[in-house]
Amino acid sequence: MSEKTMEEKVEQATNSKNVSLPMSRVRLIMKSSPDVSCINQDALFLTTKATELFVQHLALSSYKNGSGKETNTLSYSDLANAAEETETFQFLTDILPKKILARDYLKSLEEMKKDDDSL
Amino acid sequence: MFQMDGDGSTTDASQLGITGEYMAGSHFVLAQAPEDEGDEGLNDHEDGNGSKDNLREQDIYLPIANVARIMKNAIPQTGKIAKDAKECVQECVSEFISFITSEASERCHQEKRKTINGEDILFAMSTLGFDMYVEPLKLYLQKFREAMKGEKGISGVTVTEGMGEELTEETFTNPLPAGIITADGQQQNVMVYTTSYQQIPGVQQLQFS
Repeated sequence: MSEKTMEEKVEQATNSKNVSLPMSRVRLIMKSSPDVSCINQDALFLTTKATELFVQHLALSSYKNGSGKETNTLSYSDLANAAEETETFQFLTDILPKKILARDYLKSLEEMKKDDDSL
Repeated sequence: MFQMDGDGSTTDASQLGITGEYMAGSHFVLAQAPEDEGDEGLNDHEDGNGSKDNLREQDIYLPIANVARIMKNAIPQTGKIAKDAKECVQECVSEFISFITSEASERCHQEKRKTINGEDILFAMSTLGFDMYVEPLKLYLQKFREAMKGEKGISGVTVTEGMGEELTEETFTNPLPAGIITADGQQQNVMVYTTSYQQIPGVQQLQFS
């Protein structure tokens, strides 16, 4: 995401007071952090707006890097991959573990067991 | 608890929440086959962490419709988004907000302040690798303030609880007319909606005449 594109978007925004996420809910989430007492209005607005930017950033990054190019669909694994590969999104790796199918896991378990047995 | 059905199927959501902690090395979560999304219950965090008595910060989410809309507008028009991807971003968003907030809060405490202000948030973004958001955010904030100034008498968003020396409800419902010199040198009367000890970049401090 280039800054220039973001600035263009900012310029285009006619009513920039509008945010597309509910600030009251953002505030709730912020206040659930330990030791947070007061949040001023600017901080709340900035956080809400930043969250919008974050969603756009994460969605587009994951979509571009993912297999969605062929299937045209942004999937969970695209997001998990982005979290692992992009430094900015690495704080998400704990909540975005890569998924494998149960049967694949069982298969790899069996293979591990076979390796152990053959030792 | 690590449990598997005898037939290898995992239909119970609780069996899906197995993280890498229980397995050697890798970070995997067992998933149902892709075509069967069902109710994966991504809101259930059955990873054995802590007590479920308190509502954890990760359990409060922004509405999925809003999140999905922003995602849809970000990707090319022909693109689609899987349902579990939407839910997942919903969780990531809460994580992001908490991430930024704790960093900002820490700085606040270090400087012995009680109120998290805009600068704290911007600084946190910079520190945490989101410095590319900072400049656009400053522009958005400017426009936000201009829009708010234009609405005299509107209380705006109440963001703090009534605490002694901090902002109280009264501050918003009984706006004091104040002369303020703005960046372009014009003096105008605007209602007070910020605290007196907030540092506003680019705008001079409120002058109470």
